Amino acid sequence: MSEEAVLPAARRVRRRAAATMTASQRREGGAGYLLIAPTTVLLVLFYLYPLAQTVFYSFTNWNPATGRSDALVGLSNYTHLVRDPQFLRATANTAIYVAVVVPCTLAIGLFFAAMLATPFRGRGVYRALIFVPHIAPTVGTALVFSYLLSPLGGVVNYALSAFGVAPIGFLTTEPWALVSVIVFSIWQGVGYSMIIYSAALANIPPSYHEAARLDGAGPVRRFFSISFPLVAPTTGFLAITGIISSLQVFTQVYVLTGGGPLQSTQTLLFYVYEQGFVYFHGGSASAAAVLLLLCGILVSVLQLRVLARRNTAELG
Amino acid sequence: MSQPLRLRRLAPNVARHAILLVAVAIFFGPFVWMLLTSFKSSSEALSFPPTFLPHEWRFDSYLRIFTVAPFGLYYLNSTIVTVLATFGQIVTSLAAGYAFARMRFRGRTVIFVVLLAALMVPFEVVFTPLVTLLSQLGWLNSYQGLIIPNVPSILGAFLFRQFFLSFPTEIEDASRIDGAGIWRRLWSVMAPMARPMIGSFAILSFVYNWNNFFFQFLVTTRSRYYTVQVGLAQLQGENNTTDFGLLMAGSTLAIIPVMIVFLIFQRQLVSAMSGGLR
Repeated sequence: MSEEAVLPAARRVRRRAAATMTASQRREGGAGYLLIAPTTVLLVLFYLYPLAQTVFYSFTNWNPATGRSDALVGLSNYTHLVRDPQFLRATANTAIYVAVVVPCTLAIGLFFAAMLATPFRGRGVYRALIFVPHIAPTVGTALVFSYLLSPLGGVVNYALSAFGVAPIGFLTTEPWALVSVIVFSIWQGVGYSMIIYSAALANIPPSYHEAARLDGAGPVRRFFSISFPLVAPTTGFLAITGIISSLQVFTQVYVLTGGGPLQSTQTLLFYVYEQGFVYFHGGSASAAAVLLLLCGILVSVLQLRVLARRNTAELG
Repeated sequence: MSQPLRLRRLAPNVARHAILLVAVAIFFGPFVWMLLTSFKSSSEALSFPPTFLPHEWRFDSYLRIFTVAPFGLYYLNSTIVTVLATFGQIVTSLAAGYAFARMRFRGRTVIFVVLLAALMVPFEVVFTPLVTLLSQLGWLNSYQGLIIPNVPSILGAFLFRQFFLSFPTEIEDASRIDGAGIWRRLWSVMAPMARPMIGSFAILSFVYNWNNFFFQFLVTTRSRYYTVQVGLAQLQGENNTTDFGLLMAGSTLAIIPVMIVFLIFQRQLVSAMSGGLR
């Protein structure tokens, strides 16, 4: 990316080099297409083509079971969605999920990254153990959580019983089911934001902290006046990727609660899945998928604009 | 050093370790609990108050899981799918990354920008027509269906492109003057040089493919082609919801390969994730 954005002079040089391509280099042009062919062709077939279909089907009465879509129905899939209480519920659940999971994951990740920023004995081990939940398969770890949270033999309920709390069906009662899914996702995501923040913190020149320390700033003050503003681009990056991946949450919901109780943990992707492969309402499924996609794109664009404005403000 | 001064130095250190130990209990404790439970009998796993260490170390959950479900087959399926998809991702990404970095052809920038834009579209958005397409191809419940749609990796192409861009051109020029053709140059000169990049990407891709539940869940409906993740999720659904000894043995088996890879390649994995993705 950065290479593409370099000065016009470099581009001019490259253009001149292109003008003096030798015959053998031109022959290699063909090889270039061959080399990108596997990636490009497979992506078009299994990604861009289904994407185009999703958009198209969202305006039809497509049935994924029969493969038939015999009528263009205009916007009726979309108007149906807006009136479907199940869709509204899924949207609200997803919104709550994103609004809690993303900031908490970022904040806790940054907290541990800052704690582990300076070398001390055992630092690597702590970092590794906090990171592990992020790479372990979700089905496996979600099953472990379903055991920990179980009213039967679960340690969380046992710990609560010490305070006289009666066993809670965390995964089968409202609002605990959604809370459990949220806590699980934060637990899983903290390790990732921690290592990304660690890399960002390591890039801050130590002299900044040194100077502030000499001026009498304590660790907390230094964190909020130096580290936090300087990792802002990382926060932006993690916020975008976090929101986009949280919009697609499925596996932990499927394993922990199955979308229940009474759809209280049903998320947008869960809704798309059910409409498409349980009820075979391909049109509604596609319309919901398109809305999901638009949300993701909107978030990326907004975030990029905010970041760009901040950068120009700082420069100016 | 005077006593109060030493204390003042020591106190923050103790506080730091205390906080971090609580963190380890929260983030890593569940794995320890999972492993210990997998050695308990099913009734002990449900006992109240719970036991920490098993009364009696039993392995029958591990024996049982291979009889209540074809878990050996799931393991084989996961291994085949993960190894081949990872291999495919490496080869295609290396080739594409090299071409985007080093070769000149019409439309290179346009194609690359389109791919980068496609990175914004998560696979989850397009799955309904994708599964229908795979079904028309007869690829549901098949290895090719589980593997081939996962082979193209935009991230991989992007990472290899960055790698080759940061690489000096002299060696290539030398081998070009020596008369090595493009294929020779790519596979016997450049690919070996890219070994560190191949290593990090292979680890990343292994973890991704092994854990890839949602896609595998959509493509398989018959247990003959279930992967470990799908098989484990189905196991929970089949009236085993409270057989935690069995489920924890299954989770342990599902998690172990990734843990081993992480233990051996921790540094590469972390640097690939923290450096590579940006």
